[in-house]
Amino acid sequence: MHIVDGALSTDVVIGGTVLAAAGLSLGLKKLDVERIPAAGVLSATFFIASLIHVPIGPSSVHLILNGMAGLILGWAAFPALFIGLLLQAVFFGFGGITVLGVNTVAIALPAVLVSYVCRYGLAHRSTKVAAAWGIFGGTLAIALTTVFVAFALMLSGEEFFAAAKLVFFAHMPVMAIEGLLTGAAVVLAHRVKPELFHVLTDDVLKGAQNA
Amino acid sequence: MHKLLSLALVALFLMTSTASAHKIIMAVYQSGDLIEGELGFSSGDMAVDQRIEVFDENGNKLGETKTDEDGFFTFQPTQATAHIFRADLGAGHVAETSMSALEVAKVEGLVQPAAAKTAIASAPAQMPSPSPAAQYPSMDQAALAKMIRDELRPLRREIAAYKEKNDLQTILGGIGYIVGIFGFAMYMAARKKLKEATK
Repeated sequence: MHIVDGALSTDVVIGGTVLAAAGLSLGLKKLDVERIPAAGVLSATFFIASLIHVPIGPSSVHLILNGMAGLILGWAAFPALFIGLLLQAVFFGFGGITVLGVNTVAIALPAVLVSYVCRYGLAHRSTKVAAAWGIFGGTLAIALTTVFVAFALMLSGEEFFAAAKLVFFAHMPVMAIEGLLTGAAVVLAHRVKPELFHVLTDDVLKGAQNA
Repeated sequence: MHKLLSLALVALFLMTSTASAHKIIMAVYQSGDLIEGELGFSSGDMAVDQRIEVFDENGNKLGETKTDEDGFFTFQPTQATAHIFRADLGAGHVAETSMSALEVAKVEGLVQPAAAKTAIASAPAQMPSPSPAAQYPSMDQAALAKMIRDELRPLRREIAAYKEKNDLQTILGGIGYIVGIFGFAMYMAARKKLKEATK
């Protein structure tokens, strides 16, 4: 999923860096003390997940787990995923330092969007409904990431639909796996630690204030 | 739901067993009167029938070539300038590697510019060891060079694969960094909170 150095035009790289910086500063502002450990754990999860590869045709794709990060962290997914990406670039050579901004936006922005879309679904009292939203969120995050990557490639001169189709279809298995994983995580959290998902916590707090 | 979870876990483990990185490796080296190279994925799979464009250092296109079914490609250089090989495998997968003018100049049968010539001429002076051909007079130098190249090829491959290996130390090191970074963030945040509390 990582775009590598040299695949994008300079304008796109600069634009991505600016957007990532904005997302990072916003994310850091929303990263309160209570959420820092969760952000660290998800950052590490993301860092490792990229090593789990799913071979497809001549290439292979790997797990991203940005949906799960977004559901738990909201905007704070930006710094968590950024650090994961930075270390992947340094340690494994995935992506690269110049395209770090673009990759951060392509992976963290879908996470944030998913956290908004699934906010109320996850807070549902029924575990089944919440799980369905979790599956949807995990899948949607990857789908959005493929669209963002294709968009970045298009701005750099590649044909959008060809690139999007290629990236999207290559990530179908990842979408399925991450949907299941995120759904399973939601079920588990719903049962044992409902405050894990920040969206849930927010609603619980709101409920307490109303009561 | 338990079934679903265990299914997902089994699927995960199945996939890790066939783990393969998707990083692209490209290597070029001089081989007789050609530049030879390979293109493949760090998993060991080679890129088959892939177009490779060749540019000089100013971005002028010198030509293009294609990989065979083993990911090998050859290019016949006509100018003794730096060669940049670029392969675009689509979807943001781009590999680029270059060969310096000095190395390209070593390719046999090339009209060499004066600068490159002197560089090559001065090279043996730095290494006073007797030339291999003098030691083995029965063997012609070109044949010897070819033999050494053939012997070195698997080694080159192995080194390229080794460079891409993500071993446990690297992974643990990365996790260590993450723990450190978030620990530091926690410390900063806690300090700020304490300050606010004492105000």
